[in-house]
Amino acid sequence: MSPNTWVIEMPTEKSRSRPYPQRISPYGVHHPSRDAFTRTRDPPTAATPTKIVDHPVFEDIRTIMSVLKASGLMPIYEQVSDYEVGPPTKTNEFYSFFVRGVVHALTLFNIYSLFTPISAQLFYSYRETDNVNQWIELLLCILTYTLTVFVCARNTKSMLRIMNEILQLDEEVRRQFGANLNENFGFSVKFLVGIAVSQTYIIILKIYAVKGEITPTSYVLLAFYAIQNGLTATYIVFASALLKIVYIRFHFINQLLNGYTYGQQQKPKQKRNHNGHFRAALMDNFPEDSLFIYRMHNKLLRIYKGINDCCNLILVSFLGYSFYTVTTNCYNLFVQITAKGMISPNILQWCFAWLCMHVSLLALLSRSCGLTTREANATAQILARVYAKAKEYQNIIDKFLTKSIKQEVQFTAYGFFAIDNSTLFKIFSAVTTYLVILIQFKQLEDSKVDDSIPAQT
Amino acid sequence: MPSSEPEVQPLLQQFQQLFFISKIAGILPQDLEKFRSRNVLEKSRSGMVYMMVTLVVYVMFYNLLIYSFGEEDRSLKATQSTLTFVIGLFLTYIGLIMMGTDQLTALRNQGKLGELYERIRLADERLFKEKCVLDNSCIGRRIRIMLIMTVLFELSILVATYIKLVDYTQWMSVLWVMSAVPTFINTLDKIWFAVSLYALKERFEAINATLEELVMTHEKFKIWLRGESDNTTSLDSSQPPQYDSNLEYLYKELGGLDLGSMGKGSVAGSGKNKVAPVAHSMNSFGESIETASDKFPRNQMSSNLVYESELANVSKVEEKLNNLCQVHDEICEIGKAMNELWSYPILSLMAYGFLIFTAQLYFLYCATQTQPIPSLFRSAKNPLITVIVLSYTSGKCVYLIYLSWKTSLASKRTGITLHKCGVVADDNLLYEIVNHLSLKLLNHSVDFSACGFFTLDMETLYGVSGGITSYLIILIQFNLAAQQAKEAIQTFSSLNDTAGLVGSVTEMDNGSSTLHDLVSTTMLTPTTG
Repeated sequence: MSPNTWVIEMPTEKSRSRPYPQRISPYGVHHPSRDAFTRTRDPPTAATPTKIVDHPVFEDIRTIMSVLKASGLMPIYEQVSDYEVGPPTKTNEFYSFFVRGVVHALTLFNIYSLFTPISAQLFYSYRETDNVNQWIELLLCILTYTLTVFVCARNTKSMLRIMNEILQLDEEVRRQFGANLNENFGFSVKFLVGIAVSQTYIIILKIYAVKGEITPTSYVLLAFYAIQNGLTATYIVFASALLKIVYIRFHFINQLLNGYTYGQQQKPKQKRNHNGHFRAALMDNFPEDSLFIYRMHNKLLRIYKGINDCCNLILVSFLGYSFYTVTTNCYNLFVQITAKGMISPNILQWCFAWLCMHVSLLALLSRSCGLTTREANATAQILARVYAKAKEYQNIIDKFLTKSIKQEVQFTAYGFFAIDNSTLFKIFSAVTTYLVILIQFKQLEDSKVDDSIPAQT
Repeated sequence: MPSSEPEVQPLLQQFQQLFFISKIAGILPQDLEKFRSRNVLEKSRSGMVYMMVTLVVYVMFYNLLIYSFGEEDRSLKATQSTLTFVIGLFLTYIGLIMMGTDQLTALRNQGKLGELYERIRLADERLFKEKCVLDNSCIGRRIRIMLIMTVLFELSILVATYIKLVDYTQWMSVLWVMSAVPTFINTLDKIWFAVSLYALKERFEAINATLEELVMTHEKFKIWLRGESDNTTSLDSSQPPQYDSNLEYLYKELGGLDLGSMGKGSVAGSGKNKVAPVAHSMNSFGESIETASDKFPRNQMSSNLVYESELANVSKVEEKLNNLCQVHDEICEIGKAMNELWSYPILSLMAYGFLIFTAQLYFLYCATQTQPIPSLFRSAKNPLITVIVLSYTSGKCVYLIYLSWKTSLASKRTGITLHKCGVVADDNLLYEIVNHLSLKLLNHSVDFSACGFFTLDMETLYGVSGGITSYLIILIQFNLAAQQAKEAIQTFSSLNDTAGLVGSVTEMDNGSSTLHDLVSTTMLTPTTG
């Protein structure tokens, strides 16, 4: 195929009534309460960009954004207009730079204190191996967070580009359909609160568990440890929220396309009127809409790839860290439960808190990745249900379908594996396998101890 | 529509006995009377209540069973290793969890299940319009066979275990009957799934068969035509064919053939280059097809009225292929919906199958070593019963996986048969249609998965069997090591008693003794024993 076969027949001029026709949104009539991406009440054609803007973009994830901005993980961008963000100002940039510097300094200090007896107080031992476990866990946490900071600092520009692309896309949707694509991102706030609570809880548990006076160094260590964990987790939630944003846009175009499928076209007419021309669209609009859909789909795929590129290193290290944490905590939990007579509620709670946090994060991540991937792949499947009579319509369909044959849309962890529901399954089956092995070793060890003690006395 | 309705029997008609048994056992809450009279699954409040009651009763009795048979276990717990105990506890309840999942899912889906079968009926009607006739009678036979197999397996396991391994002098032993309930209910539920899946597979196959039939009739049509043309050419081979000039003009237009080369070139396929480029690029097959490509346009023109082949009439066949494609898509969607309805039960069944298979084998090993095993798994004490249990459990899982795999294969085959149509009726216009539709078919995906965690296909089956093997190896190895360690300690302690001198040695290095002992005993025991 020659490179310029991918041409979509533009509709003829007379079929375009207006330069930007107000088309029918698959979500139905424009609803004011759904309008949160930008808070404007103006009609979309009123050329708002020149106006002074007082409503922030990405309103619905602003809580998580502000947390990330404050911690230097996200650039503190300037809002140029309703649909554009600009690079941060010098002072803000310096602030982010400064925060990152502090973080790295603290990390260095932490590593130093981990390898010197200063931190010995924190690692009271219930058994030798557990100490090693905790060490590795701490080191992994530090590694993950440092990586996150580095990658974020490097990807500042591409992050801004992605945001701008999303905003451009929204602008187009808004101009053409008058629809605001947004959803309730309450889950991000809930997760933020959950992370904060679990981290505080873990610190408190730890403080109670430490015997004797706690030195300031230990406090710093603990606090920084919690912050590292919390921010890494927050970044994961942020990635999920971004994916959700992409998912909503994919869903929008799929809904739009769904109006042309044979199932919807064959439905009786009066039902359509009753729904307020909601589902089935007129076939005459198909070339125009399909052009729009293809463009949107391509853009969205690019955004999706961009998001993936921005955070795949972070995801790999987070998944590794998470896997390790889940395994060790499950193991500890098991040891605690089966230990004869010395169940410590402190450690139980500690394990539970960790498990809850990591399992829910893993579930969130894999779920949002899986959903978005499925929605992105669904476009071709829905298009396959469009049965057009006219030859040129069929050609339009064929071109898209041909393009998407080998276009495997996936959200990968640095190319190592695709992240979706099956990843969750694989992680848990691996955890189970390790647990069985670990527990067996433990029992072997225990049976030796049990039997040799009476033998010696 | 009303004319075709009496012809298309609803699929549910074959489910009469199965529905009756399921209703009695409390698997489906739908209304019995309406099903009998009109073959529809409708919601029913009383059915729901009945089902809830059965669920509660089952759970109560099962717990009673665990309690009354668990006395030995409680005394065992002290001696048993913790892992065996925990696994045993988990295993005893997984059957119950599975049953609960089945029943609760059935309650949740009670409205949707009726819709699903209604959709199948509508798809059947559309298939019937395209002269795709389906025979549902073998489904009824399948249901009966499955029911008989289930009852046979359940009864043989139950009776054999009861007679051989349960102390039936106590009247409490009657409770053992309850141990068969979860698996029985689960199997009944899975029969619904399996048979519906099989029905879908049949529909896919019917579509494929229809397409194949189109190809066959067209081939016959072509052979007949060739015979016809051979006759004409043999009759007057010396002279150019005597068609009137009207037709000659048309041949040139349609096939780019001229009359002079037609008579000789038809067999040798020398007219290859005269076929239009698109068709040619698609058509790199054997000789016969190439010759067919030469002959086709002429034949279509001259003898369409004499012999019927639908493929010859492009506009008519386009309609038919379009419809078949839509039905294909609809069946794929039904498959997806069905998978959705049964996703949690299948997940729990697979988990159950994996665990029980591993556990049964592991306990069989334990029993041969005369180690204590959980009392609910007493069937593992007898190898024969174990074999029956294993084949029953694995049969269920493997059959479902196999059927899902076959169904998705059958759905993918439609594309191949569609292309056969395109190849046999070598026509530009039809090629375009076939290309268009096959692109669509490529995007009709029906993959059966358990909640998206893993797909049900042969690869998963391989993975699961690999998993079972590795777990067994790990478990048995550790068990062996623990046994040997224990024996070694016993001999060591007896030595200790006789020679008090050794005590001082162990005191000296009791910190590192555990690991050292482990290594030495595991290394030494085989040679001493």
